[in-house]
Amino acid sequence: MTTLTTTAAARAVAASKIYGTGDAEVRALDAIDVEFAAGAFTAIMGPSGSGKSTLLHVLAGLDTVTSGQVFIGDVDLSTLNEKQLTIVRRERLGFVFQAFNLVPTLDALENMTLPLALAGVKPDPEWLDTVVRTVGLSDRLRNRPNQLSGGQQQRVAVARALLARPEIVFADEPTGNLDSRSGTEVLSFMRRAVDDHGQTIIMVTHDASAAAYADRVVFLADGRIIDELVDPTAAAVFDRMKTLGD
Amino acid sequence: MWKVTLKGLLGHKVRFALTAIAVTLGVAFMAGTLVLTDTIKVIFDDLVTSVTRDTDAYVRSRDVIDTAFGEQRDRVDASVLGRVREIQGVREADGVLQFYAQIVGADGKTIGNPMGGAPTLGLIWNPGSLTAWRLVDGRGPTENDEVVIDRASAKAGKVEVGDTVSILSQQAPATFRVSGIATFGNADSAAGATAALFTTPTAQFLSGAVGRFDGIQVAGEDGISQRELVARITAGLADPAVQVITGERLTKENQDAFAQQLQFFNVALLAFALIALFVGSFIIFNTFSIIVAQRTREIGLLRAMGASRRQITLSVLAEAVAVGFLASLAGLLAGVGLAVGLKALLGAVGIDIPNGATQILPRTVIVGLGLGTGITVISALLPARRAARIAPIEALRAATTSTTKRLVVRAIMGVLITGAGVLALLFGLFGGGGVEAVGFGAFLIFLGVAVLLPVIARPVTRLIAWPLPRLRGTVGTLARENAARNPRRTASTAAALMIGVALVGFITIFASSIKASFASSIDQAFRSDYVIRTKGQGPPGLGGFSPALAREVAEVPGVEAASGIRFAGADIEGRATFLGAADPATATTLFDIEPRRGDLAGLGPTQIAVSTEKMRDEGWRLGQSLAIRFPRGPANLTIAATYGAGQRAGLFDFLISTEAYDLHYTERLDSQVFIKLEPDADRRVVTVRIQRVLRDYPNAELQDQEEFKASQTQQVDQVLNLIYALLALAVIIALIGIANTLGLSIIERTSELGLLRAVGMTRRQLRSVIRWEAVIIALLGTLLGMVIAGFLGWSLVHSLADQGLSTFRAPARELVVIMVFAAFAGVIAAIWPARRAAKIDILDAISYE
Repeated sequence: MTTLTTTAAARAVAASKIYGTGDAEVRALDAIDVEFAAGAFTAIMGPSGSGKSTLLHVLAGLDTVTSGQVFIGDVDLSTLNEKQLTIVRRERLGFVFQAFNLVPTLDALENMTLPLALAGVKPDPEWLDTVVRTVGLSDRLRNRPNQLSGGQQQRVAVARALLARPEIVFADEPTGNLDSRSGTEVLSFMRRAVDDHGQTIIMVTHDASAAAYADRVVFLADGRIIDELVDPTAAAVFDRMKTLGD
Repeated sequence: MWKVTLKGLLGHKVRFALTAIAVTLGVAFMAGTLVLTDTIKVIFDDLVTSVTRDTDAYVRSRDVIDTAFGEQRDRVDASVLGRVREIQGVREADGVLQFYAQIVGADGKTIGNPMGGAPTLGLIWNPGSLTAWRLVDGRGPTENDEVVIDRASAKAGKVEVGDTVSILSQQAPATFRVSGIATFGNADSAAGATAALFTTPTAQFLSGAVGRFDGIQVAGEDGISQRELVARITAGLADPAVQVITGERLTKENQDAFAQQLQFFNVALLAFALIALFVGSFIIFNTFSIIVAQRTREIGLLRAMGASRRQITLSVLAEAVAVGFLASLAGLLAGVGLAVGLKALLGAVGIDIPNGATQILPRTVIVGLGLGTGITVISALLPARRAARIAPIEALRAATTSTTKRLVVRAIMGVLITGAGVLALLFGLFGGGGVEAVGFGAFLIFLGVAVLLPVIARPVTRLIAWPLPRLRGTVGTLARENAARNPRRTASTAAALMIGVALVGFITIFASSIKASFASSIDQAFRSDYVIRTKGQGPPGLGGFSPALAREVAEVPGVEAASGIRFAGADIEGRATFLGAADPATATTLFDIEPRRGDLAGLGPTQIAVSTEKMRDEGWRLGQSLAIRFPRGPANLTIAATYGAGQRAGLFDFLISTEAYDLHYTERLDSQVFIKLEPDADRRVVTVRIQRVLRDYPNAELQDQEEFKASQTQQVDQVLNLIYALLALAVIIALIGIANTLGLSIIERTSELGLLRAVGMTRRQLRSVIRWEAVIIALLGTLLGMVIAGFLGWSLVHSLADQGLSTFRAPARELVVIMVFAAFAGVIAAIWPARRAAKIDILDAISYE
């Protein structure tokens, strides 16, 4: 185990998340052990209620585990208080959500630089330029979210997640609200971030073709990891999901 | 449908509670005022009745004149008393006098008249059954150097029967032996007034009414009606100079006179209660608007399921009725408590109100509930109509309908209403429209600016907050944009505060202008070295100094001249007005009233000096004769001189000599005594000598020019502080409004705030965003309030230029303090919303679906 800590960007050790008590008890995560390699694009899949979103939330410090441990790098998140968790999120992690990704009162550029601004850090101009160019929104930087299409909004969200050069980007159904063309744009962009810049990405999705962009797919059911695929294809993922009875 | 209404209410308890507070506070203030004044009125009616309970008839002079200081009646000759006593059917008759007499306690300090409250009365001790005074210790005065005092004064001055007290009156201070202590009915004092009761000759001497009475109280024999008694006395006296009225009418007149004073107090307080309710109406409007906006989907769904527009409107209005009624009911209860508390407070500052049952009249309940509920419903009308316009399709959209096209209409409306308000205000101030027109104009201005505000809120908000992004980075940007994102909401929230601030700022400017005008007229007119003034400031005609004081000071070695100045009411050429009186020979060396034409220093007993302004206004000429009615009878005085510093300069338009004054008035009290030292006199030595004279006059205070100025402005400050306290309620309600709006906005922005927290905004930063938003809204309201305050203050000051208000002054320091205070108040209003925002659960917020 100890040798692996150096290469894993994030890992969960016997992590459980239990909601309610007694008869109403729900085990969203049931003593999960999982590791996510640095510089890799990992997808988490599973049917509704499998605990995939909960896993993402506890890994990202948005939620706490009932028992067990969660590490970002060498830091045990369960030992941190609310403020320290906020700092970890701001400085070490990036986020892309399915919806409500952007602050409506800020323009695209301000949204991208938001975590840096909150930390009081100036963005690296070269890197900013690279990200903006890669996202392909150079001419829309001063537009507000309601002036952008859904795909453009998600690309801004991804750009925001990448701009702080976080150790890990967490993406929660980033293409769930997009048509397939926009979804492809966003996913290729994420793939490139991994290939070109060595970014670590952990993505929750229920879409097999989205999962196919990943290096590795982890399958969850009933709060447990039941399988995984390396270098998946859409068809392989789709087959595996069917057997899970989604 | 009603079920939906009820559910709506119960589902939003907190926001409705905040709305309700805005109504409750206003209603409580109003109900409290009504209950308090009703209670005081009943108590004082009882008191007034008890004074004249056994009086069946009252004989007084027929000569009465109207003056700037109110109605003034001549006295009757003392011989009338003997004639009345001989008339058949008269059982008992007493002469009465009421005059200024202040008791000095054992410690050498004056008793009574704290903060210019209740008067210090001198009276005749009448041992018969007609008086309300009852001895509780000792006996009545039988010698001319004996006095009976009220028990409250005896307690305050630690005086006992047999002690010697000094009495200040218009005669030189003199000592009296306390022969007895009396209560007024069962009360220690007559509603807080101090009383010194003397033998008839002493009272007549002390009041300058030798051989005269204010009137004569008469009790008839059993079986004779009051009317019958009045008829018999009128016939028996057969004197055209006297008037005989029934005891009932006397009681009624006294009650009416008191009710009139109380009415002023009542109206003033009710005005503040209405201001509070007006401010509250903005909060109600805002809450209902936001709730309707948040429920757009729900209402759309109801419409899709077949609810008619009417039903939707009624549903919203039913909520308003329920909230308004409950809030008014709470306000009513709080108001009764407030009245009881206020009465205790008045007692604590020396305005002693006797005990009596708290009066809750049906009118108070009806007005309180009706007005509170009515204002809530009226404020909810527009939001209800807006709710009814929601189309069924809205249920399916995340709707944010644009309102830009309505802004033009709004701008025109706002300008028109504001313009009408300005016209009404100016008509009230300059065109003789009176205080109602002024109030209505101010109301329209507030309303008009409130209507206009959403049009300009966005740019003005950005302007106010422009340094914020630079100072506070992203937190500042977010706060600024949040304040600007919903101009209508920001505007009506700021408008509520605007009203409070405008009134506070206006009254500040007005008070500063009064103070500056005082100061400049004192600087201009004050030529003496010192002035002696009374410590407590009573109403004119009550209190002052015996002319003996000026005489004694004038004899102090080193004093070149000392002269008293008096003010008195008179009817000049049919106008109720007032005049000043001074010694013309020394007057011009003591104060500069800018003599113009004629011989001011040689003003004789049949002459009068008039200000040049008055001369011009009336078209009078030097040498002309003026018909003047004094309390003691009419006289013609010739205009012998003119001077420049009249009422417009803060002084008086008519000046007569002390000699003339003494001919026409029996009440001779100097309001102030001006002193000039000899040029080579040692100030310190002379001051000590003057202070030695003042030892006999413990109500006197020696001041130099600067101290005099300070004490004049201090009085303005006292009134100012009182008004601040009354306006505080309106400001507090406005702050509740800010808290409420922010709280509701936060509910709307849950997912956005969750996102901010997820990407790394700390709770502290989030609270800061909310706080700054509150500060921006508060500053928006404050800035607009200041602009309106400046306009109101400027126009009022200019309209009063001929009343002696010569200087307009907007005090920069005070106005900046108000700004800072408003910003700080914004921070306080943001405490609850900020805490609420910080508590938002990130997971709930981002997994909203």
